[in-house]
Amino acid sequence: MTSPIAANIRSLTFTLALAFLVTSIGAAYWTILASDQLANDPFNPRLIAATSSRPRGAIVDRNGAPLATSEKTDSGFARSYRDRTLAQVVGYASTKYGLSGIEAAYADSLIGQDPADPVSIWKARYFGDRAPAGQVMLGIDLKIQKAAADALGGRKGAIVALDPRTGAILASVSVPSYDPNPVVDPSKQDAAFEQLNHDQNRPLLNRVAQGLYPPGSIFKVITGAAALESGFDATKKLRVDDPYQADKSWGDYFVRSASHAHGLFDMADGFRLSENIYFAQVGLTIGAAKLTEYAKRFGVGATPSLDLPAAKGQVSETGSIDRPTLLADTSYGQGELLVSPLQMALIYATIANGGVMPTAHYATEVRDAEGHVVRSIAPGPIGQVISPGTAKTLSAMLVGAVEGQGGFAFGARIPGVQVAGKTGTAENRPGQAPHGWFVGFAPAENPTVVVAVIVENTPEGGVTAAPLGAQVMRAALGK
Amino acid sequence: MRAEAGVPLGRARFTELSLLVWVAAFAVTGFVAVLATETSSFSPTAAIVPAVFLTLMLALHVFLVGIRFRGDQILMPIAAGLTAIGLILVQRLASDLLLQQLSWSIIAAGAFAATILVPRDLTALARFKWTWALLGVLLLIAPLLPLIGREVNGARIWIKVGPGSIEPWEAVKILLVIFFAAYLEEYREVLSHTQRRIGPFPVPPVPYLVPIVAMWGIAMVVMVFEKDMGATVLFFGIFLAMLFLATGEAFYAILGLTLLILGGFAAYHLFGHVQTRVDTWIRPFDEDLRFDAGFQLVQGLFALANGGLLGAGLGNGMPDRIPVVWSDFVFDAFAEEAGLAGALALLALYLVFLYRGMLIALRAPTPFLQLLAAGLSFIVALQTLVIVGGNLRLIPLTGITLPFVAYGGSSLVTNWMLVGLLLRVSQVSERMRGGGAP
Repeated sequence: MTSPIAANIRSLTFTLALAFLVTSIGAAYWTILASDQLANDPFNPRLIAATSSRPRGAIVDRNGAPLATSEKTDSGFARSYRDRTLAQVVGYASTKYGLSGIEAAYADSLIGQDPADPVSIWKARYFGDRAPAGQVMLGIDLKIQKAAADALGGRKGAIVALDPRTGAILASVSVPSYDPNPVVDPSKQDAAFEQLNHDQNRPLLNRVAQGLYPPGSIFKVITGAAALESGFDATKKLRVDDPYQADKSWGDYFVRSASHAHGLFDMADGFRLSENIYFAQVGLTIGAAKLTEYAKRFGVGATPSLDLPAAKGQVSETGSIDRPTLLADTSYGQGELLVSPLQMALIYATIANGGVMPTAHYATEVRDAEGHVVRSIAPGPIGQVISPGTAKTLSAMLVGAVEGQGGFAFGARIPGVQVAGKTGTAENRPGQAPHGWFVGFAPAENPTVVVAVIVENTPEGGVTAAPLGAQVMRAALGK
Repeated sequence: MRAEAGVPLGRARFTELSLLVWVAAFAVTGFVAVLATETSSFSPTAAIVPAVFLTLMLALHVFLVGIRFRGDQILMPIAAGLTAIGLILVQRLASDLLLQQLSWSIIAAGAFAATILVPRDLTALARFKWTWALLGVLLLIAPLLPLIGREVNGARIWIKVGPGSIEPWEAVKILLVIFFAAYLEEYREVLSHTQRRIGPFPVPPVPYLVPIVAMWGIAMVVMVFEKDMGATVLFFGIFLAMLFLATGEAFYAILGLTLLILGGFAAYHLFGHVQTRVDTWIRPFDEDLRFDAGFQLVQGLFALANGGLLGAGLGNGMPDRIPVVWSDFVFDAFAEEAGLAGALALLALYLVFLYRGMLIALRAPTPFLQLLAAGLSFIVALQTLVIVGGNLRLIPLTGITLPFVAYGGSSLVTNWMLVGLLLRVSQVSERMRGGGAP
C-alpha cells in the first residue's frame, strides 16, 4: 500500500518531530538553565510569598540598628521601614509591586536562601523546608546618614559618603525621598505606588547612583591625572586671559574664567582657583585621546559595579571627543559629560586611596538567624587607575583647593583636620540655575571618608555644596 | 501485528483497556495530590469528578468493544490521559470551572461515539466537500454577526449558543482538513505532475489552486477581523501541510512560510495587537512590558523556573499567579508542578499521538483517507507546538488551546471528534486487511 503521499507523510512527521525536540530543549532551558536567575528575579511572586507567612530577614546598619524589619500582624508578617532617608537604598518588598533596593538585591538572603548557603536553597526547593531568615547588614552608619540628610535638608540633590579603602557606602541620601511603608500596606499600596510613579520629582530614583549630572569643575582631577601621567609639567605656568579661545576657527566661541582671571597659573593654582581656562589649555595640550582614555579609566561612561542599580553616564554624546571646542569644554568638566555622584565619589576615592579604585557596595554582611556570618561582602578593588605618585600630587593640590589661600572650596574646612576636595558649579540647561558640587576626602594624609555632594539648581553652585560636605565628613570623623 | 491477523471478531481491546488502567491510576493520584494540598475542607465534588470521568472512559471502551470496533487502540487512551490531565489542572487552577469542564468531557465523549457511528461510509465525507467548505465559511463568519457574535479578550471568535458560547473555528479546522483532503485527492495529480517550472520554481496550474487558495483566503481575512492570531497560524499551517502532503512540493511550504513571515512583518506594523505580541516575545522583561502586556508571559516563565527537574509537586507551586492560566498557560502550570520530567512526558504523549495518527495515515487505503488522517494528526501536533512554543517563549504567544488539556469546551469536543475520525480511518484499513485489531 505505498503511494507518493506516504513519503510526504514521513517527511512531515519527521519535521514535526524535530519541532518537538526543539520545544523540549526550550522546556529544559527555562526549567533548568535559566531557573536560578528567574527564581531570584525581584518580581517573582514566589520570593515574596515565601516570606508573607514568615518573618523576612531584617536589614540593619553597620552597628546593627534596624532599617527594615518584619512585624507580626493578625494576617502574617508586615514589613516596617524605619528611615525614610534610606528609602531608595533599602527599597520595599511589596506582594503586588515586587521588590526594589536592597530588598530586591538580597531577596534570596532575606528569605534564608543566600547563594553562599546552597544547602538551605536545596532544602527549601525540594523539601519546602526553609531556613529561618537571617539579616543583611549595610555599610551605612545611621549617624553619618543623619548628618548627610540634615545637611541636604529639603534641597533636591544627593549625598554619598564611602570608605575609600573598602568601597563600603557609609551614607546615601537622595532627595526627594518617600515613605516606603504605605507601599507595603495592602490597604494603601495602590494609591501610594500610583502617586510615587507619577511624581515629577521622581522620588523612587536613587540619585546617588542613578542620577546623572554634568560634573563641572570636580572633573578637573581627571584632566590633571591625564596630564601628570603623560609627562605634562604641572609646575609650568600657563598664561590665562579671560575670555579664551585657542584660535580664530572657534569663531564666537570662548572658554570663560569663573574669576575673570588674567595672569600666570600652574596646576596647583588651577585647582585652588578652579581655573577653567588653565584646564582647557591642558586638555588641548595632551589631546582628546589621552583625556578620553583617563575618563574611561576612572569609569566615566561605564556602569559602576554596585549591588543596586546604577547609571553609566557618558564622556560625550558619541562616546568620543571629536572637536577642539568639545575637548576644551570637557577638560574643565562641561561639554557633554554626565556622571553620577557615586562615580565622582569613586574617582576621588581613587585619589585618596593611592590610585587604587575600590568597588562600591551597600551591603557588607549576610548573617543567618543565629547571627553567624554566612557571607562577607568585600569586593576587592577594581584596580590601579593612576600611579601612587600621581594620586599623591593630586591629593596635595586638592588640599590646596580647600585649605589654600583663596581656595574655592574653603567651605569644606574642618578645624584640626586636613581636608582635600573640590567644588564644582555645573552649568546645565540655559535658564536653569547651575548644580552645586563638592567632592572631597579627609583626613588628607590618611583618608577614611570620601563625600560627594550635589545640590540641584542652586545659584551659588559649589559654594553651597562645600559646607555640606564638611558636615558629613565631621560626622564620619567624629569631629 | 500481522501475526494477530485472523484473530476472531469481537476480540476484546486489551491494549486499550490496559492503557486506560494507567490513565485511571494517574487520574486518581493526580486528584488526590491536588486535594491533599488544598488545606480547605474536602470537597466531595472533586472526588466525584475522577470517578465520573473514569466511568465515562470505561463506557467508551465498552462501547467500542460492544460494536466490535476494529481499529486503533492507542489514541483513545492518550486522549483520555490528556483529558484527565486537563481536569486535574482545572481542579488545581480554577476549581469553580471543574463541573463545567466535566460536562464538556461528557459531551466530548458523546461526540466521539457519534463520530464512530456516523457516517456509515467515510468516503461520503469526500463527496460533500463543497458542503463542508460552505459550512466552514459560515461558521467562521458567524462570530462577526451582530446578534450571536461575542468578543472575549479582544478576539471576536465566539458565538452564543444557549447559556454558553462556543468557538466555531475549532470545528472549522476539521472541516478544512476534510475539504482539503477531498479536493486534493481529486486534483493532486494535476497540481504536482503537470506543472511547468521557471528555473527551480514550480508554476502551479492556477485554475486548480483557486478553490483552495480562496478557501484559505476567506479563513485569513475572517481571522484578521476576528483578531485571533492562533487560529490564523493554525489555518495557514493546515493549508501548507495539506498542500505539501498532496504534492510533495516543499516549494509550497517554503513559499508559504515566507509569505507568513512577510505577512507577520506587515501585520506587526499595521496592527497594534500584533505589535504588542511580538514586542512581549522579544523583550518581556523590559520595564514597560513586564507589568503590562508581558506580565502573563513573565509570570509563566517564573512558573517554569520554579519547576526545575522534578517540579514543585501538584498543588505546591504558584502557577495561579499567571493570569488566565487555565486556558493559555496550562503547559507552564503543569511544568511548574510536574517539572521538566512532567513537561517532557506531556510532550511525549503528543508525540506518540502524532506518530500513531501518521501511522494510521500511512496505512490508509485511499489518498483521501491518507490526507484526512495526516491532516487531523497534524492539527493536534501543530496546535501543541504553537501554544507550548508560545508558553516557552520560543515563538510569539498566540491564544490557541493545548489540545485536550486546556480549559475549553469547543476545543475538547472537536478534538475528541478528531480522535473519532482517526479511529474510523484506522478501522477502514483494518477491514481492508481483513485482520484483527492491532
